[in-house]
Amino acid sequence: MSERSTSAPKKEYVRFGLSDRIAHFLVMVSFTMLVITGIPQKYVPANWAEVMVLWMGGIERVRIVHRIAALVLIAASIYHVLVAGYNLYVRRAPLSMLPKWKDVTDAFETIQHYLGLREEPPKYDRYNFAEKLEYWAMVWGTLIMAVTGFMLWNPITTTKFLPGEFIPAALAAHGGEALLAFLSILAWHVYNVHLRTFNRSMFTGKLTREEMEEEHWLELERIEKGETPPLIPDPRRRMIYIPLAVAFTLISLFLLYLFVTYEETAIATVPPQPVEVEIYTPATPTPTPKPDLVHIFYERKVEARPVTHDIVAERRDCLFCHGLGRLDPYSPIHAELGLNNASCLDCHAPEKK
Amino acid sequence: MGRLQHGLWIIPVLLAVLTVGVFAPANMQADGHARVSPQPTPTPTPEYDPNAACVACHSIPGRTLPLPSGEALSLVIDYDAYKQSVHGQKDIPCTGCHTNIIDYPHPDITAYDHRDFQLERYTICRECHPDQYEATLDSMHATALAGGNRDAAICTDCHGSHDISDPHTPRHRISLTCSKCHAAIFAQYKESVHGAALLEESNPDVPTCIDCHGVHSIHDPTTARFRLTSPEMCGKCHSDEERMAKYGISTQVFDTYVAEFHGTTVTLFERESPDQPVNTAVCYDCHGIHNIKFVNDPDATVVKEHLLETCRRCHPDADANFPTAWVSHYIPDPEHNPLVYYINLFYAIVIPLTIGGMLAFNSLDLIHRIVRRRRKGHEPGQEVKDNE
Repeated sequence: MSERSTSAPKKEYVRFGLSDRIAHFLVMVSFTMLVITGIPQKYVPANWAEVMVLWMGGIERVRIVHRIAALVLIAASIYHVLVAGYNLYVRRAPLSMLPKWKDVTDAFETIQHYLGLREEPPKYDRYNFAEKLEYWAMVWGTLIMAVTGFMLWNPITTTKFLPGEFIPAALAAHGGEALLAFLSILAWHVYNVHLRTFNRSMFTGKLTREEMEEEHWLELERIEKGETPPLIPDPRRRMIYIPLAVAFTLISLFLLYLFVTYEETAIATVPPQPVEVEIYTPATPTPTPKPDLVHIFYERKVEARPVTHDIVAERRDCLFCHGLGRLDPYSPIHAELGLNNASCLDCHAPEKK
Repeated sequence: MGRLQHGLWIIPVLLAVLTVGVFAPANMQADGHARVSPQPTPTPTPEYDPNAACVACHSIPGRTLPLPSGEALSLVIDYDAYKQSVHGQKDIPCTGCHTNIIDYPHPDITAYDHRDFQLERYTICRECHPDQYEATLDSMHATALAGGNRDAAICTDCHGSHDISDPHTPRHRISLTCSKCHAAIFAQYKESVHGAALLEESNPDVPTCIDCHGVHSIHDPTTARFRLTSPEMCGKCHSDEERMAKYGISTQVFDTYVAEFHGTTVTLFERESPDQPVNTAVCYDCHGIHNIKFVNDPDATVVKEHLLETCRRCHPDADANFPTAWVSHYIPDPEHNPLVYYINLFYAIVIPLTIGGMLAFNSLDLIHRIVRRRRKGHEPGQEVKDNE
């Protein structure tokens, strides 16, 4: 290695075009946001998850950010399909990402090399087995997440076609796949392109010669032999591709629009109806006595005895002395009518002097 | 009847006042709480009843006092009932509560009507029961009263006045007390799984009104806060192993609710903004409130036949399959929700295998790199070149 670094000039090789880098950037940002807002939702009864959700501004905001990030990821996927279609069909790029038998043997040979059972590591092409594994895992994972995410976002629509159990099943799959994706990114992507070597090609678009030698020997070899002619767009194919791409984009965006707006009452539910029950319904209204004694006597035209003593303050309580069994009890005629102490004076006027 | 006779009546009244002055404070501090020690304080003067003077007049049947409203205020008390009451048993004299009456003639009554009289008098409860009284100030009864609703319950409406006895005995007395004003709600409650058990067998495990609504500080149950905290309220009994085992009810209901969309949302909302209204269903949105039935009861809101109807209260577009999206408080197993169970199982196997495989591969790579670097360091020719 050191021999080459001293002899060969610093030469750089283009690895990713601008469109790939844009797609990667969108996926990187949206995936990170999805993980940050999604993983706490999966574990929410746990304390750390609740703290994270509250720290991010509450469950409503977390859900909205998660959904926006999901849309960005889906949009980036649509963009990637368009770019890949253009490269493969119009520019006639080779199908360098397709898995081949060589990838399987490469993987075994690499392990053998690590274990010291093989002198030289296998020589990799433009995409080695680790990169293909990650790419197709990402495609598969994004598909699962988008489909289950749609089901969770639109549970009422989903259950028009599928049994209800698919909703909790979609939630289980969404959470399981999310954890798998997150941990894979940590264990595979972060190790391979950040820790092992810091591979900047997704941002600069270029690899150095040493990096090419170690990771993409076969591609380097072909470049140096002049076997990789520049990819020139075929004008006839472009004429076919562009309307197809426009149609695909429009349909995708329309589906995306439906994804977001199709259902109304799954998330924005109608408020629970108030319970219709009278709150204050006294079972037996307490009767309050009504003083009707005076009227009855008045109607009967009974002549009342006048009061013969002064009515000073202490003597306002007539029944104190004139109650039954007292000093000067009232006549029995009062008893059948009930008694009202204070109405005495209405009939029994003080004697005029 | 001369002035002298009046004077004679006044002597026991004054003695009664004196008795209150000497003995009442000791009694009342000890009796700050409604539940008091069973031993009554020794009767201060067993020779005679300090209330005799009061009773002499206030037991004459039919005595009333007219009020400006036209109503008549009954002046008669059932003294035997009073002697049986919690206060009577402790020999608290009439003037212990009727503190405004110190001699005869009594001061004029200022109340406009009967309710006015009660509203003027009940605040005296505070003197001996300050904690309970102050708790009621936070209640929605007090709020309604302050807002001008004179029907709102005050101490004496629930506890009575002269005939106060232990409000918890028998247990169903609690809910019967509330039913005095809330008859329509009580009619629902007594048909519910909780109410029927309480009223038919005085069941000690079911909630009475106060177990959910609180006792003195009865809060408004229509607020967002009440709603958001209600699952914890239900969960308090429904996660109690011992209590639920008697009836074969799962104690997972709270945990499975919190782990699910509705419960997660409600739990988080309660943490972040407990006063913000939220539509997400809480226990009683599906199970009912006062009319809550056993889940297999044909009238239950959550029984299979009624579940779609219940879902549609919030999700009007829901179709026949929608209710089965709810896992019915089950932790998925091969019998209940097999699809969910097997998906979880799948990831429980695939995740460790995949990540383990990746980490193993990475470890080989790392070790290989470290070994290669070491070897290079030991080859003299290489060393020289590296140093150049």
